[in-house]
Amino acid sequence: MTARRRTTALIGDDNTVVVAGKRLTWRTLHKLPQLPSPAAVLVDNGADALAALRHHAVHGTELLVATRSRVDERMRDELGESGFAIVLPDGEVTPARLKRVDESGRAWLLTSGSTGRPKRIGHTLESLTTVTGDQPPRTWLLPYSPGTYAWWQIVTLSLTQADQGLVVIEPNELEDWPAIAAEHGVTAASGTPTFWRQAIYRDADTLGAVPLEQITLGGEPVDQAILDHLREVFPKARISWIYASSEVGASIVVHDGKAGFPRDWLVRKPDLDRPILSIEGDELVIRSPHHGAGLVGAVHTGDRIEYAGDRVLITGRLDTDEINVGGSKVSAGVVRNVLMGHPGVSWARVFARKAPLVGRMVAAEVVPNKALGPITNADLVQWCSSRLPDYGVPRRITFLDKIPQKETLKSDV
Amino acid sequence: MGEVMTAQGRTLPGEDAADLREIGFRLLDFSELALRVEDELGDELNFDAPGLRRIATVGDVLDFIEQLQSA
Repeated sequence: MTARRRTTALIGDDNTVVVAGKRLTWRTLHKLPQLPSPAAVLVDNGADALAALRHHAVHGTELLVATRSRVDERMRDELGESGFAIVLPDGEVTPARLKRVDESGRAWLLTSGSTGRPKRIGHTLESLTTVTGDQPPRTWLLPYSPGTYAWWQIVTLSLTQADQGLVVIEPNELEDWPAIAAEHGVTAASGTPTFWRQAIYRDADTLGAVPLEQITLGGEPVDQAILDHLREVFPKARISWIYASSEVGASIVVHDGKAGFPRDWLVRKPDLDRPILSIEGDELVIRSPHHGAGLVGAVHTGDRIEYAGDRVLITGRLDTDEINVGGSKVSAGVVRNVLMGHPGVSWARVFARKAPLVGRMVAAEVVPNKALGPITNADLVQWCSSRLPDYGVPRRITFLDKIPQKETLKSDV
Repeated sequence: MGEVMTAQGRTLPGEDAADLREIGFRLLDFSELALRVEDELGDELNFDAPGLRRIATVGDVLDFIEQLQSA
């Protein structure tokens, strides 16, 4: 057990934290009993996750925090064998199976699992605090699932910077978050493109009533259509997209309202505080000062890029993005961007479907924008035919009623 | 077959003897047609079953698909 007090300044300890409609501060959040160290704290709500984080920040205990639903029995066993006591939402503690010395100040994150089972990546509050310097006063929405990289980014910002309030959105509040955000004066919000698309699709007027000054997108490929839609709803807000992951931290931040990043960033002069971006084959490679423990050096991200004029677009995962149609290759991300560019489409997922004669064909799921009238399979095929090679045109398009979303706010696009 | 052609902005001629090359019915269209049949049946088609043959006309395609469905 470690009880060393950390010197990391909790400058934001008096920042407002709204949880379940209650207006508190970090300091007045409920306190957890002394946690074991290392501990994997599994939570059912955002308030308990914040309390665990503050406990970690104050006492320096080794912590992994995640929602209970993300950590199945097998992973709990693995954590126990790696020295973690498991703390359940009701306070029940399963002692670690392996006794080891804790790593003071170590925070563990679980990756989103988009490449398989979630992996554990080691960080510290310092390596997770990528926003430094004076920030304008803001009230941040916190819609992310506790323990994800995006969640840590927002909570460390609030805990370590002055005037950065938080409004926590619990999973059961996700559909109504714009009304909650408007009620509590949220001025900054970060979410996946899926998250934003759903909010626009459900009720753009209610969304437009949120006094947003800063809009951030990340966690999934960001297409031009969603950036443009947000610009329409929030003409004065700063709209940014971030490429960040548990492995390399926040490595690309773009504020110009365009999808992709400028191609000349690949040849920037090295700077110790700035990630170095490069391309190997079609893959994005990053050397980041914000990397997780043991990930020093070049990290092959597994994300596929495509050049579009003076921009570099990140189109999706290498292992799923490329679709080989009878020997001709097409990027699922590029096809998706074309579909999303259709004014009648609110959301699209593009994937390979096993097909006779050509091996794979491009298929898609689409959620239409009902406000703009019905669209048909033929409308979309014609739209795509004039913008893509014939093998890239989705041949089977399924229409869905609503945008699917996972706990990580992503939609498997 | 007509739906596949329509989705591509083309029209399926009425005669079974119509030549596939002339009407622009290509490999991708044939594959799409097979997927549509699979979706209707809720099952994968077994392309090995009927054996290889020359498929040159609309009638050939329709016969082939019929054979696949009953295979």
